[in-house]
Amino acid sequence: MSATVDDRPEVHAALAATRGQAGLAAALRWETRKLRAQLRSRALLLGALLAPIAVVVVVSAQSRPPKDTLFGRFATENGFAMALLVLGFASQWLLPLVTAVVAGDIFASEDQHGTWKTVLTRSVSRSRLFWAKVLVALGFGLVALVVLAAATIATSALVVGRQPLTGLSGQVVEPHSALLLVAAAWATMVPPLVAFTCVALLFSVWSRNAAVGIAGPVVLGMVMQLVGGLGGIEAVRPLLLTTPFEAWHGLLASPRFTGPLLEGCTTSLVWSVVSLATAFLVLRHRDITGG
Amino acid sequence: MSAGAAAVEVVGVTKTYAGLVAVDDVSMRVAPGEVYGILGPNGAGKTTLLRMLFGLIRPDSGEIRVFDRTWADDDVRTLDGVAGFIESPKFYPYLTGRQNLEGLRLLDGTGLPDRVEEVLDIVDLTGREDHKVGGYSYGMRQRLGVAASLLRSPRLLVLDEPANGLDPGGIRDMRALVKRLAAGGLTVLLSSHHMDEVEEICDNVTIMRRGSVAFHGTIADLRTMAPDPGHLLRTGDDAKAVVVGRLRHPDIVVEPSPDGGLVATGSERGLAAYVADLVHAEIPLLAFTPTRTPLEALFFMLTDAEADPPSRPVVAGACR
Ligand SMILES: Nc1ncnc2c1ncn2[C@@H]1O[C@H](COP(=O)(O)OP(=O)(O)OP(=O)(O)O)[C@@H](O)[C@H]1O
Ligand SMILES: [Mg+2]
Repeated sequence: MSATVDDRPEVHAALAATRGQAGLAAALRWETRKLRAQLRSRALLLGALLAPIAVVVVVSAQSRPPKDTLFGRFATENGFAMALLVLGFASQWLLPLVTAVVAGDIFASEDQHGTWKTVLTRSVSRSRLFWAKVLVALGFGLVALVVLAAATIATSALVVGRQPLTGLSGQVVEPHSALLLVAAAWATMVPPLVAFTCVALLFSVWSRNAAVGIAGPVVLGMVMQLVGGLGGIEAVRPLLLTTPFEAWHGLLASPRFTGPLLEGCTTSLVWSVVSLATAFLVLRHRDITGG
Repeated sequence: MSAGAAAVEVVGVTKTYAGLVAVDDVSMRVAPGEVYGILGPNGAGKTTLLRMLFGLIRPDSGEIRVFDRTWADDDVRTLDGVAGFIESPKFYPYLTGRQNLEGLRLLDGTGLPDRVEEVLDIVDLTGREDHKVGGYSYGMRQRLGVAASLLRSPRLLVLDEPANGLDPGGIRDMRALVKRLAAGGLTVLLSSHHMDEVEEICDNVTIMRRGSVAFHGTIADLRTMAPDPGHLLRTGDDAKAVVVGRLRHPDIVVEPSPDGGLVATGSERGLAAYVADLVHAEIPLLAFTPTRTPLEALFFMLTDAEADPPSRPVVAGACR
């Protein structure tokens, strides 16, 4: 520690001029940089790109198609059916997991590394940091979904083909419309994915533990799926966060119905708002004693 | 900031953790430009007080003003011109030293990229700045913590036991750096449990024990209050040495030490005369070493965990 501190007047003037709060954009840039530097997030995106390719290639090579699954019967001979088969599978547990890996860790890792005190003693407020993390986690979840969807649809079309699709009511959908419908079906994953991200964020803030932050939403999703599979729970079903993952079925029926889609949006919105509001309050009021 | 405002003004601050009073009605004032020490044994409440200053935890009652700003009114702007670290500084292990600093600069809202190189140079981390922090030694992380603080070009530097865990060379460098920064006009608030550190660096000191203030004042005041130094004495005939002390030197106290030998306590002049008499009485003198410095002795007196805390702090000099 040899040199002296810079006390040139111009340095002080420049610092005084810039002294103040870091904006949301600065916090966002910081969070994005950290995410990009993490091996895990890059590996996850690479997985989202490569896994569907492997799945499509393997399933299409089967002599007997997976008949018990939605669109499984046509999956080996129709690329659109294949993309919908993968969608049904991904929505069961893969999407909550993919988004939770980042969202469940993003707050808890500050506890794990003891870095809350490092960032909160700069010029960024807890609220800004909170929203920056929320946006980065949501952004990552959406990017992962887009990569997964694009890789699935493209590989299915290339490997299996772009034949006319037989819809859920037995109607025949021409390839051009089928492509739009398949893309729309993948897009309906956005609301529940956002909601699962917010739930993971809440787990992350509340538990201060990355393992709980990641596993929590996945386990919650599985429990909801089990509950959703039970009979006689019609009143509860719309409240479950896994129900919106099935709302795309209506798009593939004839005539189309969008009721479940709208209901799913509402459910996802409620889960998102409640989770985020709770997470915000917990973070805002907690004492940072660790690190 | 109004004219004459304190750099830090702590008024009646209390913080309780699940029934345990970590900081108990503490008040103190740090004037701009001074080097202020908060001294206390483990668990005295130093870190808790500094965490409250940084807004990491909220006091149950009382107020902390930093350059006339408070968390209640100004939120994070309370930290304008303030930098430092609490306990050992922590960074993102998967980022390099430079990436950590670049990121923190973003969170400062300041736009002087050159400053990163400059502070790396100040703390002698040049050459290691592009290595991941996960591979840094404890001392390197401590220095990166100082660099991260200087990055903000602070007016007030708050350091929580900055020399903790450093080797003697690191401690020397850290103290030299703090003194140099203070000489440049920076206000420094530093916590420590080493009297010698505070004595060497600070102008004013608050001594804490069990959450309360046990002493406020200048180092000079502290020195005048310090008890006479005690010396460990090893002689060829301890019994005779005690008798010599009792008969001929009533101004000093000579008693057996629990660790063997004798402890003689008294003024330097009295001790010198006593030692001369021992030699004169042909009692072999094998060792004569100070037990602890006078200020250390005072520190132990003020913060002794066994004794009840003083109902009111000892206040000396210009401080409240
Ligand atoms: N998060 C916490 N939960 C419960 N008690 C706490 C917490 N943090 C601190 N304490 C208690 O508050 C008291 C003051 O602790 P603090 O860390 O402020 O002391 P300190 O003076 O910094 O000690 P040290 O020299 O060991 O760093 C201690 O009794 C400690 O056990
Ligand atoms: Mg401490």
